[in-house]
Formats: sequence, structure tokens, C-alpha cells
Amino acid sequence: MNKHFPMSRRGFLKLGGSTAAVASALGASRLQAMEQELGGKDFSPVTGKLREAVPYTCMVCNIQDGGIAYVEDGRIVKLEGNPDHPGNRGKLCAKGNSGFLHTYDPDRIMTPLLRTGKRGEGKWKRITYDEATTLLASKLRGVIDRANAANDPSIRNEIVFKWGRDRSGGARGRFMAALGSNGQVGHTNICESSKKIGLEPGWGPDIEYPDFASTKYALIFGGNVVEASYFHNPLAQRLMDGKTQNQTKLVYFDPRQGNTAAVADEWFAPFPGTDVAIVLAMAHVIMNEKLYDDAFIRNWTNVTPEQLIAHLKSYPPEFAEAESGIAAKDIRRIAREYATTKPATTFSYRGPCKHVYGAYQEAAIQMLNVITGNVEKKGGYCLPRGMGYNQPGPKPPGGKAPSILGQPPEYPLAGHQVSTHLPYQIMKGQVKMSVLMTYYDNPAYTYPSSHVWEAMYKDEKLLPFFASFSPYMSETAQYADLIIPDTSYLERNDPDSMPSDLRPWIGIRQQVIKPLGNTQEFRESLLQIINKVDADGSLGMKQYFPFKNGEEWVRAQFEGIPGLKEDGGYDYLKKNGVWPKYGKIDPVTNQIVDKNGDEVPAEYGLHMKELSAAAMDGASVEANGAIKKGGKTIGVRINGKNYAGFGTGSGKIEIYKESYKKYGFNPMPVYKRLASRGKKADELVLTTFKVNVHTQSRTAGVKYLAELYHKNPAWINPKAAAAKGIADGDLIRVTSSLGYIVTRAHVTEGIHPDVVAISTACGHSAYGRLAQLKLKDKAEYVAGNDPDIDNNVWWDDKGVHPNPIIRLQVDPIGGSQGWFDTVVTVSKAQAGDKYGDVKVSLEEAMKDYEETLRYAYTGDMHRANHKEVDIDWNSLPAPKAGGGH
Amino acid sequence: MQTLIERVVDGVWRDECGAQGALFKLLARVIEYEVDQPLLDSLRGELREPLAEAGAEVPEDLLTGDPAKVVEDLAVEYTALFVQPGAISPHASVFQTGKMFQEPADRAANWYRENGFVFTHRFSGEFPDHAGVMMSFVSALFEREADALDRGDAAAAQVIHETRERFLIEEMGEWVPAWCRTAAQAAEHPFYERMMNLTGRVLWDELTQIVPPRRLRELSEKNARGPVVVAKDPGFRKASGL
Repeated sequence: MNKHFPMSRRGFLKLGGSTAAVASALGASRLQAMEQELGGKDFSPVTGKLREAVPYTCMVCNIQDGGIAYVEDGRIVKLEGNPDHPGNRGKLCAKGNSGFLHTYDPDRIMTPLLRTGKRGEGKWKRITYDEATTLLASKLRGVIDRANAANDPSIRNEIVFKWGRDRSGGARGRFMAALGSNGQVGHTNICESSKKIGLEPGWGPDIEYPDFASTKYALIFGGNVVEASYFHNPLAQRLMDGKTQNQTKLVYFDPRQGNTAAVADEWFAPFPGTDVAIVLAMAHVIMNEKLYDDAFIRNWTNVTPEQLIAHLKSYPPEFAEAESGIAAKDIRRIAREYATTKPATTFSYRGPCKHVYGAYQEAAIQMLNVITGNVEKKGGYCLPRGMGYNQPGPKPPGGKAPSILGQPPEYPLAGHQVSTHLPYQIMKGQVKMSVLMTYYDNPAYTYPSSHVWEAMYKDEKLLPFFASFSPYMSETAQYADLIIPDTSYLERNDPDSMPSDLRPWIGIRQQVIKPLGNTQEFRESLLQIINKVDADGSLGMKQYFPFKNGEEWVRAQFEGIPGLKEDGGYDYLKKNGVWPKYGKIDPVTNQIVDKNGDEVPAEYGLHMKELSAAAMDGASVEANGAIKKGGKTIGVRINGKNYAGFGTGSGKIEIYKESYKKYGFNPMPVYKRLASRGKKADELVLTTFKVNVHTQSRTAGVKYLAELYHKNPAWINPKAAAAKGIADGDLIRVTSSLGYIVTRAHVTEGIHPDVVAISTACGHSAYGRLAQLKLKDKAEYVAGNDPDIDNNVWWDDKGVHPNPIIRLQVDPIGGSQGWFDTVVTVSKAQAGDKYGDVKVSLEEAMKDYEETLRYAYTGDMHRANHKEVDIDWNSLPAPKAGGGH
Repeated sequence: MQTLIERVVDGVWRDECGAQGALFKLLARVIEYEVDQPLLDSLRGELREPLAEAGAEVPEDLLTGDPAKVVEDLAVEYTALFVQPGAISPHASVFQTGKMFQEPADRAANWYRENGFVFTHRFSGEFPDHAGVMMSFVSALFEREADALDRGDAAAAQVIHETRERFLIEEMGEWVPAWCRTAAQAAEHPFYERMMNLTGRVLWDELTQIVPPRRLRELSEKNARGPVVVAKDPGFRKASGL
């Protein structure tokens, strides 16, 4: 008892006891318990009612994380990660969390639109889905009838489908196969195709899985995984797991200081395109200092350590220093650290491969893992684990005549096409196009020299009919003759799978809500179109589409997957979103654990799985150990044992790529000095990058994300800026051989002195009011319509998009666009320049097409750049349509 | 049993209900769907003079142009004004929340359901909180009230009357007049400019008849939303803006 509080502790407790007895009569406090579960449940803050939880697969970017949508009164009110998903383990990124705004975007296209004015004039008439699909079907039927009348299947290739982010689970391909057209052009050469072509001939798959969570040493080249990059969310989590729980050392190479550089133990900024010189120098150190895994190289590759040492002779660290600017002593030190720290892994994404000769870069980086024996080890460089799904039978036979559109025969190794070349091929009359359909595709914004695409779209002679399936207006969709809008990804059915964890999974996208306002998902439109093209079935197309609706089609795709049926099949997926369920996420370690709390182990050493007697039945073993069956390699015999091996002809990792040599490319990873490396002292190399809250082109209209990031000043180093008299925030001109843009300078130490970097995602000229900041252009037009745009947009800068001044130049091996090879000058803006000005030349862009073809295997620059290749240059194979896959 | 005076008053009111119902029906029709050939014929015929008297003169090109082309041109203008991206969305959800299909759509659907109507759509992308549908609902309630008065069912008429007034005030009064003004400003064809202005005037006139002065001031303020000038705060960001 004291003078301030005249009650003994005993008395205090007595009062407490009495109060407890009547606690329920006291009512609820304003203070309520926070949600402490890991997810899977959500409650209305107003009514306290449990919200309906519907699992789905995200599709804002390409990582396909698992999510749970919370639905209240038929409306999606919140998204969060699916806690049962092995890839993203219950977490979504900012883009994923904001995804439902795509659904309710006031600028979403909600009904088919038929163009009435000139192309791009913005004059439309709304029509029904039925009218729209009837119109498109009639256009398609016209081409098919013409092909049949002429008995010429190549005419069907005039039906062209161009897609960007296609996660339709093969729906688009099945549709085009039924139409009998090979005019199918993707977008991968503006993504990472040279990474794929650097890897696929080497070990089979097109990507690696770096086991960051268990590694001791992560060496990343141009893969800003903490911020964007492939498997952004899953790999960022695992990299942080490794750093916090496993003391992983992270060494990062990137000319720009992105978020991954910020969390790295060491960040190095090489000259763009010189990563391969550094990597080869590291390999040089590892081989010459005998830090390599001799047994792994001899057993599991098609080269010997001696051959590697000989090949790497010309790449000492001093050479790499001269090319990259990274000190030889650091290259040596890191090479030694990397080779002697076990386990270790590399990761790379667009940084190295998005250059001319990017395939060499990727192959070299993979080689580092191979020579140190880190392949398929816990904490090492692993094969990706994915799961397949089916296309139900009977399957359409596909087109009979090869098409060269977007897959020019001058690029026989570019198995993921060269889609950048499409408009040039059309404008030069090399290919004819009668009907173009596009899906999740916006080349007039996302491609280099984007104005070339614009020119093609505008020309009705080159492109007689253009239909877009976009649910949002875009720089490309604005030129369509017909828009048949898809739904948002939360109102659609698709199967999906991604190797975002070492435990493979398969998931679904399902209609979280019914398509908003009776809109129609892409699959439904395809079904309608096919049924109208082949109304009486006489063309033999209808038989391949016996599905009543999109869901029935997707349900059929999940039939026959071993083990799924026993767990409940498609209905299990509808309820859980992803299969199989490996365990629960431990809230402390973030690992997937079983009911005893033990981590569910991943499987390693896939290449060392021994083949069964049944598998070996009827197989033969070749001199190099390759086990062949039915004309295919099914494994490899090493030291008398029959292993599954790798997905190559030899069953081993093929550092030496015979397929490259066939066309005069070096079969071994080499450094080729790029034109940009020889730039003049006052010039800079223009690079682009993605930020953590945006995709390349489809999120600038999402309100949450636009508020976070909406403008993209050009990053320039203080040294470079000072030399040009540029201060932070100055209006500047960035000029390439194509023309110039006027933007602002962001002067920062976080960029290489020879580089100017401009992010994507900004500077839209179409795609909704918010992305374009139409409120500033024409305030009275939109005022009083959308209260967010009226009252909450505090910014007045939408950024400036750099793609119009980026030159077309592709890797002649992998076909990738060299996004980071454009040389520019940067200067203070001139009198009369206005922020956002873009002035570019179509004529100059067309010259770039001719110039980049000189680097193809048929061109003069190819031979000049590959004098070291021992081949009969006069006997290279002739270009052949349909060479790619 | 009604007195003679009551019968006269009800008769006048019945006629007014009928007239208002027809007027709201016309305005709703113009907002809900594109002009078609029958409506164009009416605009050229029986509606021409009364519209002119109401300050919404039918534009010359509608009167003299090739009918098919006029219908086509108006469909394009309709789409630009009310449908395509960048349009002045006619939905309360967009106007009030910045997103499509939010609570205002549920509220509107409830109003319709409770009064024996069901919302249907002709095109995709149509929702119950569409300004045209709301106008149509008001029109229907006017007609029902007139019918009830015809039947001599004053009690039913009163219920309908109150329902209509509540709907006008609670669901339309705060936004439709402002929306009409915005749409009229954005319209590039004088037909829609005039019809949107007329709709706004008719609606506001109706509101002034039924809303107490204080509430009317509130509605007036809510409908006064104009262009917002984004205040620049130089201290907010450094020159580069990052």
C-alpha cells in the first residue's frame, strides 16, 4: 500500500478477480487482436464476417506465385500469398498485392470495340462478344478458304498470332494449330532468349535454380533478384534466408546499384557486356590454380580440364580488368573464394544475356558452376523443377508449311524466335500478313525502336486486319481494328507451373469471381471463334474443341497427372490452388516443414538417378556413354552405372557446343568485344531496368503502384554529369543514332560512369488515364469522374520511355535483343526542348535491321568476328525456314 | 372516399407523374444505349419541338443527315463518351470510389430487387449503378405511381412516391448532376452535350422539389466537384524526384 494508490496488492488482485467474472458484460474494446496466423483467413473489418477465400495463381508478372483472393459480397477485396504454395510460401510482392486493381480498373475495356475511324484515331463502336467473334471468325475463314482454293497451306500462315505474356496453358497454341497456321510469334527475344540458348544446348533446361537458401556463396551477374528478375519473390526470399540463416556471401555484378547490390556483401559495376570477360577470367584462375572439380569435369562434361585450361589461356584477369574495369586482384580473389567455398552457386538474368553474343555470356556463367562441381548439389546450381500438364486429345495437327515470320532462317540456333524482326520482315515484303491477333502484347511500347511497330500497325496495306484480345488500351491495342477483351487474370481459368522451388508444383488460375460485368475470358472467345470458323465441322477444327467452356477445357488439362487424381484431382486444385502440399511454412525459419516440424527435404542430384532395368530395356550405349533409346538420349553411362544424366545428346553437360560450331560460332564460351565497348569517351551506353513495383509495361495504370513509382529520370554518374555540365534534375537530351528523347537527369554514384540507365514501366502514351496522366493534359475532361484521379494524384510526371531510341541489334546465336548495347550521347536539353519529347527516325531504324543481319551466321560480320573457329566457311548450312523450334 | 378537390389534385399529380415518367424514360434511354433508327425518327419527329423548348434542340446533322450515318456517328460518340477507356464512366462506383462495381452497384441492385425489378444487361461491362439504369428506375417508379393513382390506390402511390424520392436523394442526388455536367463538357457531339445538360437540369429540378434546403446545399456542394489543381510542393522531392 502506498500514498498514491491506497490499495494493497491483495486488494488489487481481488478486484481483478471480481472483474473477470463480469468481463463479458463489459463489451468489446476498441483494441482488437491482430491477425497472427500466417494467412489463409481474412475477416471483414466492418462486419467481422469471414471472407470467402479463393486460391489462384498470380499473373501480374511471369513468376506465377500462389495467392488467396478474399471475396466479400462477390467482390475481391484483398489478395495475399497462398501459405501452402512452395514457391512464394505465403508472400506476394507489391505487384501481386495490388493485382485486384486490374480487375476493377475504371479504364479497363469491358466490351468488344470495333474501330470506326482511322487506325489509332481512337474512334470505336461497342459491339457484343458474339458480334466480335463472328467478325474475327469471318476474317480467319477468308484466309482459310483462300488457302484451300489455292491448295496452298502456306497461305494459312498469313493468319498471325503475336503474344507477349501468354500463360494460357497452351490454349493459344491449340487454337492456332487448329487453324493450321505457323504464323505464331512470341516475345522471348526481348526477354531472355539468349540465356535459354546459352543453357539449353549445355544441359537441357532453359534456366537454372540457384539454391540460395542453402548456399554459402552466391555470385550473381545482372540478375536483380531482390527487386525484379526471374523468380523475384521466391528467390529474394531464399537469398535472404541464406544471408540470415546460412551466412551466405553475396557478390553482385551490375552496372547499376539496384536493390540486390544494396544487400550484397560486395557490389561491382562492370562495363556493360563485359561480364563474360570477368567470368572467363575467374574460370582461368580456377583452372590454372587447380581449384576445379576434376572428377566432375571428366565424368560429366564433354571437355577435359586440359582443354579448358588451353581454351581459357587468353583470358587472364588482367585482360578482364582491361575490358570490364573490375580490378584483376578482385577477380582473382572472388574466383578463389567462389571455388573454395562449398556449396556455391551463380545466378544471372538479363544483365549478361541481353547483349549481342549474349549466349556466350550465359554459357560461360554456367561453366563456373560446372568446373567447381556445384551442379545439382544442396546449396548449388540446380536444374529447374517444374511439372507439366496436358493438352487433351485429340490434338490438332498444326500448320503444314513453315513460317519465317519472327523466326528468320538466318538465326537457326535461336530456338525462341527473333520476334523483333517481325515488322521489318513485313515492311520489306518478305512475309505477308492478312490477319494479326495479339494477346498480352504491346510491342509499340515494349520493343526496341518501338516506332517501327507503330508504323507497321498504321499501314492497312501491310496489315489488313488486326484484332487484339487486350482488356486494356495500350500503345499497340489502340491500332487494332477489333478488340475482344479478355478478363483480368482473377476471372480466368488456366493451368500453370513454374520452377520457383526445388519442390515442383502445379497450380491453377480459376475464376475467383465471375467475369466482371459479363466479360469473357480468352478461352471462351477462342472456343466461340473456332465454332464460327468451322460452324458445320467441315474444316475438321471443331473436333479439337469439345469443351463447353474455359473451365471444362482446363479441367481436362489436369487429367492423367500421376498422383493428382488420388488427392482429389481438379477439385483439389480449386480448393487449394496448388498441388502437391509438401507441408507447412515454419513461421520462424520460413522453411516448409512436416507435422513434426522437420524441414521437408528437397531432392538433389537428379542427374545421378539411376535408370531402371525397364528404362534400359532396348537401349544402347554409345562410345561417349550416351544411352539411346528410340533415337533419343535417355541417360548416360559413367563408370559402369546408368544415370539419368542431363538433357543433351551426350547426356552430359556440353560445355563444347557442336550446334554452335555448325554455323561458325565458337563452340566454347568466348568474349567478343561489342561495338559499345569501343564507344568514344564522351558517349555513354544506355541501359534499362525494372523496378520492384512494376512490370515492364502493364502496371503503370495500377493506382497503388503508380503512386509508388511513376517517373523514370535517367541515372547518370556525377563524373559523367559534371563533364557535360549536367546537374541533378536538369532537363537532358539522350540521343542515339535513331533520334532523341528529352528527360531529366538523376545524378547518382549508383551507376557506372560510362552508363546512363532509364527504367521501364513509365512514359506511356496509351494505357489508361493514370499511366498517361491525362488529368494533367486535359483536366476538365476527367474532372469529377474518378475521385482517385481527381483528388489523390499528387504527382505530375509520368516519365519518359526510352525504347524509341534503343536500336535493334540481336545476338546472332540466341536471337536476343541487345537491350544494353545502344550508344548514346547525353547533353543538356536544347532551346525549345520539352520534357517528354521523342523524335526518332524510321529510316534509321530500318538501317539497323540490315546492320544486325550482318552479324547473323549468313552475314559478313559473323565471319569477321569468328576467325578463330576452325570450320569450312564455305560449307555452312543454307538458311532454312522452320529451323528454330 | 376522395373528395373532389383530392381527386383533382391527384389527377394533376397523376398527369405529372406520367409526364415525369416519360421524360425520365427518354433521358434514361439516351444514357443507357446508343441512338437507333426508331429513336432517331422520334427525335426528328414528335420529340423535336419539345426538346427545343426544353433547351435541348436536336442538332441539325441529326435532322438532315443520312440516318444510317447519323446512327453510326452517334454510336461512336456514345462509345467515346460512356464506354471506352478514358470515357466518363456512367457508373456510381467509378464516380464515387474510383473502381468499377463497388458497393454503389450492390445498393442499386437492392433498390431494384426490393421494388420488383431485376437488372439485366445487353452489352458486357454494364452494372446496376449505371446512371441510365437509375434514371430508368426513377421513370418506372413515376409510372407505377401514376398507375396506382389511376387505380385510386393512394396508399400504394404514397409508398412508391416515397421510394422514388429516397432513391433520387440517396443514390443519385450526390453524383448524377455533377456527372451530367462532366459528360456534357466532354461530349464532342452537341446532341450528347445538350442531352446531358438537360438530364442534369431535369434531375436537379426534381431534387429541388423534394429535398429540404439544408440537404440541398449539401448536394450542391457534393456536385460542385471541379478540376483539381495538383499543388506542387517543392520540398516534397529533390530535383530528380527520386
